[in-house]
Amino acid sequence: MDVTNPGPAPQTQVETSLVRAHGIAAILMLFASLVFGITVSIELVWPNALDGSPWHSWGRLRYDHTQGIMLGWLANAFFAFLYHAVPVLTGRRVTSVKLGQWLFGLWNFVVVIPGWILVLAGFSQPLEWAEFPLVIDVFVVLALVLAAIQFLPPFFARGLVDLYVSSWYIIGGLIFTLLAYPMGNFVPELVPGARGAAFSGLWIHDAVGLFVTPLALAIIYYVIPAATRRPIYSHFLSMLGFWLLFFLYPLNGTHHYVFSVIPMNAQKGAIAASALLGVDVMIVVANLLLSLRGSGWFPRDIPLRFVGTSAVFYLIVSIQGSVQAQMSVNQAVHFSDWVIGHSHLAMLGFATFAAAGGITHVWQRIPSARYNHRALEWAYWLLFAGVIIMVSDLTHAGLTEARLWQSGAPWLDSVNAVRIYWLIRTLTAIPISAGFTLLLVGLTTGRRGAGLDAIRESVGLEAIEQIAPRLVGSGS
Amino acid sequence: MNRFLRTSYLVACVAGVGFFVLSVLILGVWPGRVLEEETRRMSPEHPLKLTASEQRGRAIYSKEGCAYCHTQQIRFLKSDVIRFGAPTLAWETQFDYPHLWGTRRIGPDLSREGGVHSPDWHFSHLYSPRSIVPESVMPAYPTMFNGAPDRPTQEARDVLAYIESLGRARELAGPEGEARMQAASHQMDDMQVASPVLNASPAKARRTGTYSVIRYHLIGQTTHADRGLNVYNRHCAGCHGSKREGDGPGAKGLLPRPANLTEHDYSRERFSFVLWNGVAGTAMPAWRDLSKEDLDALADFLAPAPSTRRVRPPGVPRMMELGRSVYAAHCAQCHGVSGEGDGSAARELAMLPSNFHDIAPVNSAILRAIRNGVEGTPMAPWTAKLTDAEIIAVALVIERREWE
Ligand code: HEC
Ligand code: HEC
Ligand code: HEC
Repeated sequence: MDVTNPGPAPQTQVETSLVRAHGIAAILMLFASLVFGITVSIELVWPNALDGSPWHSWGRLRYDHTQGIMLGWLANAFFAFLYHAVPVLTGRRVTSVKLGQWLFGLWNFVVVIPGWILVLAGFSQPLEWAEFPLVIDVFVVLALVLAAIQFLPPFFARGLVDLYVSSWYIIGGLIFTLLAYPMGNFVPELVPGARGAAFSGLWIHDAVGLFVTPLALAIIYYVIPAATRRPIYSHFLSMLGFWLLFFLYPLNGTHHYVFSVIPMNAQKGAIAASALLGVDVMIVVANLLLSLRGSGWFPRDIPLRFVGTSAVFYLIVSIQGSVQAQMSVNQAVHFSDWVIGHSHLAMLGFATFAAAGGITHVWQRIPSARYNHRALEWAYWLLFAGVIIMVSDLTHAGLTEARLWQSGAPWLDSVNAVRIYWLIRTLTAIPISAGFTLLLVGLTTGRRGAGLDAIRESVGLEAIEQIAPRLVGSGS
Repeated sequence: MNRFLRTSYLVACVAGVGFFVLSVLILGVWPGRVLEEETRRMSPEHPLKLTASEQRGRAIYSKEGCAYCHTQQIRFLKSDVIRFGAPTLAWETQFDYPHLWGTRRIGPDLSREGGVHSPDWHFSHLYSPRSIVPESVMPAYPTMFNGAPDRPTQEARDVLAYIESLGRARELAGPEGEARMQAASHQMDDMQVASPVLNASPAKARRTGTYSVIRYHLIGQTTHADRGLNVYNRHCAGCHGSKREGDGPGAKGLLPRPANLTEHDYSRERFSFVLWNGVAGTAMPAWRDLSKEDLDALADFLAPAPSTRRVRPPGVPRMMELGRSVYAAHCAQCHGVSGEGDGSAARELAMLPSNFHDIAPVNSAILRAIRNGVEGTPMAPWTAKLTDAEIIAVALVIERREWE
């Protein structure tokens, strides 16, 4: 079904209460993850800033920062979006509101919050993107099963005929995450050393490639036509991009361990796949940007602007990824702050902008929700500035470290040389925190129904009439 | 048509899952088989597992996120090998559940950290990294101690045990082990398994080592002196103190204490040796990663100005005789017949006895060493065995450096 041209679907109901619950939870958890991240960054600039209590030691906060961003912020934002998008895309309700409440409770109060606390208390795994302890992982898998039960049946009930590309990404993202998560979280506990690292490498990439990316792309592919009221540029390119992505992403993992003992052929294969992935992303993003043509460089509609920018970040971060997987570049920048810049461009640039776009888009369409255009306008610019400064800063830091590591200079010279970059990175917390605060303000202040007015302003009145009938949900 | 679509979507779904399975097979399972086989061929027959204490240390290392600042994976790259030593092989991590390879280096790689520093160095470093490495950004872990770096809890002892185990398996494999690894490596076309030194840490103290004498420049070249002061403050002041009296903020937890540099004259040779090799058996690290210019500047900075060179006290013949006989009876087996630090027992000691031709302590320091011993070293107090006259006499011998 084409989201730009929805037929009457009276049975469709968006569960607005769940949209709102996950939306607010997402932003609150974003703040917590932000605090973890800022603290970690401050501890690098002023290592004696805190008193050395294990509860806020660098390593534990570092674990909570990334787990919070992935499972607290992004996952909640994705769920909020899915509660809106799945009914619109399929013309059917999600499986059950009750199940939704369970999923909400399980995800936030059994997975994320206890996960954070356990990590701070010293129960964790030293595995990237898999730091929550095993007991939490069991509940994550359970919750992912529930999410599949909640969101997938509407697609299958339609007989999978004529699916819009967002639907493919949603189906793919949910199923693949369910497969990849146990691999990344359980296998390295059972398979030692280098062999386990091979699986870790896969998961490090799959967490981003099979969970975050498909759902972020589902949002972008959804919001662009829905907000511009024009179909996507090419359905063929959409599908090509989708299949290439799901073929290539999982094959990238080993590029996290180039020049390691893992067999050279696996490394080289992953490096080749990484290069191809860059090409694939060019196809995807070209298609997205061509769909945006005619909406102006900076669309007035904030959600549209968020997802458009997200697509551009996606392009840059993917090309960067293809380049840094190549052996000559990798041998220099691996282990350095360059990579930290790369991951922030991915998670804070690409994924967070998509998620923010997704949340604000569905928020506009809840008649009873407040919406503050001005605050969101500022949120956009502050976040944009924050990401750009932070990523260029860290990239520079990484190149500096790379140069010193290749020379024979004492180790501490590399630490000293990047201190100033670490300070600047810490300072980017100011625009970024302000941006997120305004994002929250934008969704909790302003007039009720102001979101629908914003749509009316950007796409005209008739659009509202098409949207309104689908919003007969519990709308509190 | 509808039915056709339906089956083609089904095919697509199966294909999608197929991609994933494929990726796991070719990037997870297959490399795993290769690595397992390689481990079997390269590993010693009875590889050493971690002790209970080392395991506990490893768990602490895991939960504190040490691996997010320190890798344990030396890549097959010249820049890595020169800095850290031989590249990490699969069999070396065969008991690592889960692996601690890491993907970020804020601090140095620790794959071969065992034996690089002394236990008191590690305790002081864990307790308060900046007390002995002023520019470090490593977090402090004071809760692993009972209020002082020399009062570690079991936790700190376990972490130390784990650190000491890093790289041990490879060290124990010895030359035969290296030869076996060389023969069994499948990466030989692309990469070198061996490296000239197993552990290339520039800080690892050695008992012997070649070194070139550090040039002494003319004192008074101010730029040079500034540079020396700067290097000293960055690297040495934490232990030796800003006044060079051996009382820096990091000195408290160390045994032996950092040398009081104002109480000793060091020969150029000794000074060069110490900077290049550290003092094995003590917390004094080696500084092989400092540039030649920095080492020169340091040497200039620390060398006593000619005007302050001490004059030897006059030798009273009867005292010298007494002193020589005491020395021959009690000191020569360690410090050597003529004070070269090469006595017959020296080889068995954890640290080498002072060579008095290279190190000239002031009289008060000599007397203190004989009366109180040097805590944390094999140098014991002698007041129980020697009379005060004998002590003063033997001190005179050492100060005058006249053994016959
Ligand atoms: C925030 C990053 C960070 C964390 C976390 C960290 N370290 Fe470090 N570590 C460093 C830096 C930087 C250095 C180099 C400066 C120094 O020697 O202090 C270092 C140095 C070391 C060294 C000395 C290496 C050498 O040979 O000179 C050891 C040993 C060490 N760390 C162990 C640990 C252990 C054990 C933990 C966890 C309990 C840990 N580190 C956690 C940053 C970190
Ligand atoms: C981690 C603490 C520490 C640091 C840092 C340190 N030292 Fe030392 N140093 C010691 C200790 C402990 C001894 C005492 C060894 C002994 O008793 O023989 C020592 C001994 C010495 C000696 C006398 C060696 C001898 O022949 O007995 C010299 C000279 C010296 N250090 C110079 C330096 C210089 C120069 C630096 C900076 C580049 C430096 N040290 C940094 C701990 C340190
Ligand atoms: C068991 C071996 C041993 C014997 C016996 C021994 N020493 Fe030592 N002595 C050492 C060692 C080891 C050091 C090095 C301590 C250090 O570097 O901090 C040392 C250091 C010294 C120092 C130098 C302290 C300084 O400030 O650098 C003096 C002086 C000294 N010994 C005198 C004597 C005299 C006099 C005797 C005999 C009465 C004696 N030693 C017997 C092992 C021995």
